[in-house]
Amino acid sequence: MSITTLGFLGFFAAVAVLNYALPRVLRPYFLLIASYGYFCYTPQNRALVPVLIGATVVTWAAGLAIGKSKNRAVRVIFLLLAVFAAAGILLFYKYWDLFDQGIINLAGLFGQQVESYSFDLVAPLGLSYFTFAALSYTIDVFKRRCKVEYNLLHYAMFVSFFPTLINGPIERYPHLRPQIEKSRRFSYSRSAGGAFRMAWGYTKKMVLADNLAKFVSLVYGDYANMSGPNLVAATLLFALQLYLDFSGCCDIVLGMARILGYDLIENFQSPFGATSFGELWRRWHISMTGWFRDYVYISLGGSRCNAVRHLFNLIIVFVVSGLWHGADWRYLMWGLSCGVVSAVAVITRKPRGFIARYNPLYRIGGIQRWIQRIIVFLLFSATMVFFASALYKADPYAVYAGMTQGWQGLGAAWDQVVATLTDCRIDGRLPVMLTCGIAIVLAAESNGRNVAQWIRKQSFVLRWTLYYAMGAAILFFAVFGQSAFIYQNY
Amino acid sequence: MAEQHVYRAGAKRANPARPASPVRVSRSAAGASGTESRRTAPYPARRAPAPRRKKKPSLIRRFFVGVVRRLYFGSKTLIRFVLLVPIVVFMVYFSYNVDCSGLFQGALAPRRIVDLMLEGYDVTNYDQMDEREVVQLYAQDVPEAPEVIGIGSSRVLQFTSELVGSDHFFNMGVTGADVRDCMTSYYKMVTYGKTPKVLLWSVDPWVFYGDEAAFDDRADAELYDEFLTNVLGVETDYEAPDPVELWKALAEPAYFQGNVDYYFKNRGQSTITDEDGNPIDFNPVQGDPMQQTSNIKRSDGSVLYFEQFRDRPADQVLADAAAASTTFNSVHMEGFDALSDTQCEAFDAFIRYARSQGTTVILVLSPWHPYLYNYLLTEPDLHKGFFQVEAWVRQYCAQNDVPLYGSYDPSLIDGIEEIDFFDGLHCKGSGIAKFFPGVPTVLQQIQNGNLPDPLAVTARVTAETPETNTAAADPSAESQPAA
Repeated sequence: MSITTLGFLGFFAAVAVLNYALPRVLRPYFLLIASYGYFCYTPQNRALVPVLIGATVVTWAAGLAIGKSKNRAVRVIFLLLAVFAAAGILLFYKYWDLFDQGIINLAGLFGQQVESYSFDLVAPLGLSYFTFAALSYTIDVFKRRCKVEYNLLHYAMFVSFFPTLINGPIERYPHLRPQIEKSRRFSYSRSAGGAFRMAWGYTKKMVLADNLAKFVSLVYGDYANMSGPNLVAATLLFALQLYLDFSGCCDIVLGMARILGYDLIENFQSPFGATSFGELWRRWHISMTGWFRDYVYISLGGSRCNAVRHLFNLIIVFVVSGLWHGADWRYLMWGLSCGVVSAVAVITRKPRGFIARYNPLYRIGGIQRWIQRIIVFLLFSATMVFFASALYKADPYAVYAGMTQGWQGLGAAWDQVVATLTDCRIDGRLPVMLTCGIAIVLAAESNGRNVAQWIRKQSFVLRWTLYYAMGAAILFFAVFGQSAFIYQNY
Repeated sequence: MAEQHVYRAGAKRANPARPASPVRVSRSAAGASGTESRRTAPYPARRAPAPRRKKKPSLIRRFFVGVVRRLYFGSKTLIRFVLLVPIVVFMVYFSYNVDCSGLFQGALAPRRIVDLMLEGYDVTNYDQMDEREVVQLYAQDVPEAPEVIGIGSSRVLQFTSELVGSDHFFNMGVTGADVRDCMTSYYKMVTYGKTPKVLLWSVDPWVFYGDEAAFDDRADAELYDEFLTNVLGVETDYEAPDPVELWKALAEPAYFQGNVDYYFKNRGQSTITDEDGNPIDFNPVQGDPMQQTSNIKRSDGSVLYFEQFRDRPADQVLADAAAASTTFNSVHMEGFDALSDTQCEAFDAFIRYARSQGTTVILVLSPWHPYLYNYLLTEPDLHKGFFQVEAWVRQYCAQNDVPLYGSYDPSLIDGIEEIDFFDGLHCKGSGIAKFFPGVPTVLQQIQNGNLPDPLAVTARVTAETPETNTAAADPSAESQPAA
């Protein structure tokens, strides 16, 4: 059930009403049932319920054993058991077919024929999110950063909480536990803020991101015949599209959780306001980058090691996060390119600081920040070519090569882009609306502003004007029937 | 709890939006601080007075407080949601009124035609019209029930307000109409609460033929099944459609957007288009309707053929009639050897149904071109069914006091000539005027009880001279054309 359908909104409204109708002590159990109900709504997921239950029970039991045992060896064994179970599920469902194909190809190189064991597996809903959430609990218990949870149902609710199954954020148990153990009373203000945030998310996703997607998909879908200006425009717009799509979904999810009485981890903090590549990644998909930072990067030694090792750790983390997105070499290359850019950023930090000190432009107030933001955005967009190519099944190298061709002056380039925009029916009032909409979104979210809390501080008139404006934007400009979120695939 | 406290405190110190790095749980912290406090206290602390325990409200009280609280917040939330209702109302209103796909108000082109006709305009481009849609929409949109409606095939389309003698006449005939078209046209008027006072049915012979050949693909079979099932109680495959599915479109934002696009595209345009951008070329007739160069649909539903066709020389009409003679059976009568009992029963049930609705039924047998009819008489074996129809209808009308005018056999109509025909099949208005006296006269005859006797004449069924049963004829009908 896509969260952009009226059916889902009906489901959510029913869950919210029933949740608050119940005594507080029963609410987590009700939400657990609702989460499994949501998981089972799609027929293909019904057969995969044991996977979700298995991941939950194994990691919970391992956490229990780790927490109870004082013997390090036993603790390690149970940790490994949990890690292999959760990671095994993830690897099996997401990477088995790639692994199988890899073996066949490798054997082929040596003239051998190997039987294929491809299963055409369909991954359960939210696989990457619930396995990472479950893993984080076990590791935190092992490292004594989290108390053992004795209530299996509370823990199961944490793993399968339906808003996070859609596309995260990857929750941490210490963050959610107090909220599960003591459900909040209904707060009108909180719920109204949550509803606004949901509407905000829907607007970002359906009005802005999906309209941009029409152009990006057209260009990347026919990249071989597209001119350089179109490819450049599509690449820049893809970065925006991805942000609006993913952060829009996170807004919906966080808004939903807020209505239900839960505060989830914020996943974005105005990433395009970052002045360095590293900062951008600290503000982008925070729950995932935080996970990799805490459980991979720091485990590898982080930055508290020699310089080469530090750079290597950086690259490794990005490569792993690239692979997390899918079994595709383009995601791998995307991670690698981000890692390399990050490493270069670390290496050149001092020389860049030195140059900046003597750059006359930087003496004008605020201009340094804007130049840095633009450069970071361009770098980010450049790496995103791999990501977009993986998404739209394009050849990233051909895209890069195509970007340099077909330039006949800025005027002609503009005309080409406008013609393509018109082809994908972004014409009339839509371009103006998109430009204004994106500007408003970026401005409203600057400095990590939480729109759900911000809206509650505004006057009644402004609040309702915004509600109506968003309602009208969705009604007039939203793209319906193209509701899959990009990060829903991961 | 200590661990939780540590984690949350850490999160507060850092940015609350970002997950704080996990902090190691310090198991000794609480103990240490306790020890220290014990060590530093110089004197044993004076026992503070025990805080007064607040009395917990009773379970019943808590229950009712909970209920009231939920009701309060529930209603508050609901009221806020009600403030958003205008958006939905606007969407529904707009979608319903623009309705670019014609889900609720019919397709765009027929809608335009009907709108023009209801405004009193004759409409151009008759040949491109979906007549059945027009008829359906007319039944839906006409504000008041017409006094008289005409049903039948293209052979009824020359009945005009003037010929019928009523300003409140609408001709619901459609080209190639089969029995389903005829019955459902009237049924639609009834279902919309616009039952006419008089139903004028130009009965075609294939109405009594039960074979598939008698049916026209363009007819609304589903509507006919609905009619049979709901009205005549005949078992069919009809299943009542789920109106919810249709009305869901009103709450469909995508449909709303299509309507917005359509509305802005056509606003202020001289030529309107359908949702695919194709021009809808149905416009009010400019100038004298009698001098048009193409066929037009009159505002009373009748059809006015273009001037050259109307005034063709007799030899051309005769040539057409001759051509139609050899292909006569292809007009819904292939293999028509005998009347179908089922169709006869359906016919009877329909007449009874119309009468039960307070409608006066007038039947008309529109004549065929003399040449064509004479030709058919030469091969009676090929038209057995056809030749049985008129006799059966006359018998039926006589038994059931149904007014009947005209005859398939042109020789039974006084004064009718070859120039009263457009072609082999279609009689002109001038020909109609020779056998149909007009509705007011018919109603007067009914009132006076001097309707022409249907059995007074008998149509020829062989090439022999027709036999006129003058003895049986009603004296009052003598001045009337054949009936």
